[in-house]
Amino acid sequence: MKELLDEGKSIYIQIQEMIETDILRGVLREDERIPSTNELAKLYIINPATAAKGVNLLVDSGILFKKRGIGMFVAPGAAEKIRTQRKKAFMEEKISELLNEAKSLGISKEELIDMIRNGGTKQ
Amino acid sequence: MSKLVCKGVSKKYKDKLAVKNVDLTLESGKIYGLIGRNGAGKSTLLSLMSAQAPLTAGSVEIDGEPVWENQKSLNRICFSRELNVSGNNGIAGMKIKDYLKMAALYYPAWDAELAARLVDAFEIDIKKQIMKANKGMLSAVTITIALASKAEFTFLDEPVAGLDVIAREYFYKELLSEFSESGRCFVISTHIIEEAANVFEDVIILRNGEIIANENTQELIDRCKYVSGLEEAVNKATSGVETHHAEMIGRAKTVAAILRGGEHIEENEDVTVKPMSLQNIFVALCGEEVQQ
Repeated sequence: MKELLDEGKSIYIQIQEMIETDILRGVLREDERIPSTNELAKLYIINPATAAKGVNLLVDSGILFKKRGIGMFVAPGAAEKIRTQRKKAFMEEKISELLNEAKSLGISKEELIDMIRNGGTKQ
Repeated sequence: MSKLVCKGVSKKYKDKLAVKNVDLTLESGKIYGLIGRNGAGKSTLLSLMSAQAPLTAGSVEIDGEPVWENQKSLNRICFSRELNVSGNNGIAGMKIKDYLKMAALYYPAWDAELAARLVDAFEIDIKKQIMKANKGMLSAVTITIALASKAEFTFLDEPVAGLDVIAREYFYKELLSEFSESGRCFVISTHIIEEAANVFEDVIILRNGEIIANENTQELIDRCKYVSGLEEAVNKATSGVETHHAEMIGRAKTVAAILRGGEHIEENEDVTVKPMSLQNIFVALCGEEVQQ
């Protein structure tokens, strides 16, 4: 689970993403308890409130659920949900980043599509 | 939940106002970072809040009770100062062991077990005289006193200054476990901003004795961005937005933009928007006075 935190990206987003990645990789499985916010805080040396913020984002999106007095658990179907969300984010962020870069290089959409078809290596 | 409230707090040394009209509320269950340049008034503010120095103006209260000359309030505060052995202040010749004993008597909620564990972990040689201890060991002693005091409001002034990176990491972990268990309020002043930024729930930035920022650390980071690109494009993208620390190289301009609620700067092919770290933000807000 322990990966280094990047600079310049909100810590709670990183906590959210690391838990998601662990769910995708099967490090954390459905109906399993995830580490508590205090455990996460100590592991990553971050404020527990920040860890809680990351965890709560996952509760809000239905990837984790809370069992009162016990902790946070991975919801059934969580991995599938994460895949769908990441696909959407991929479209919204990576693709628009790609389009911006293409625009500043004067690459047309058709050229770009060709590049993607050829797996990134220009013929 | 307990609160320590400063209202209009000022401190004058001779002709100089070291702390100017500070309003500040500290809540239990939070870790605050106090950052500022040398001489910004950090230590002065901490000593005013812990009644170690008299106020020139204003008031400091815990849950409505004044702090000054009030044992009831003082029992709830610990200000573990940096140990200064250069002056002839009476403690320099004292053995660390005896200094810790004194602290144990002074703080009503002293946790002897925790103190012993920290002495062990930091490998503090308690038989040494304070003046003969190195900087790292002195930092470890001040940390031990702060954590073991169990005071509801605990202030640490540059606690990690003398520690190596392994001891610093150990300190932050111990701080976080003590914090999770007790929900005490901690205020930590530091110059090593980057590694501490994630530990602070709120950050207080002091400049020339005044508080210029006091908010949730992550929210502050989220709303501060570097905007760079062609000068005109950057000016257009940041028009109406608070900016600091503009730097120009040829036609290129970079500014630190501090966004208010609802403001947003869209990245496009002419303008790059990059996140800022707490240290970047600190430099942008407090470094302007040294800019040419």
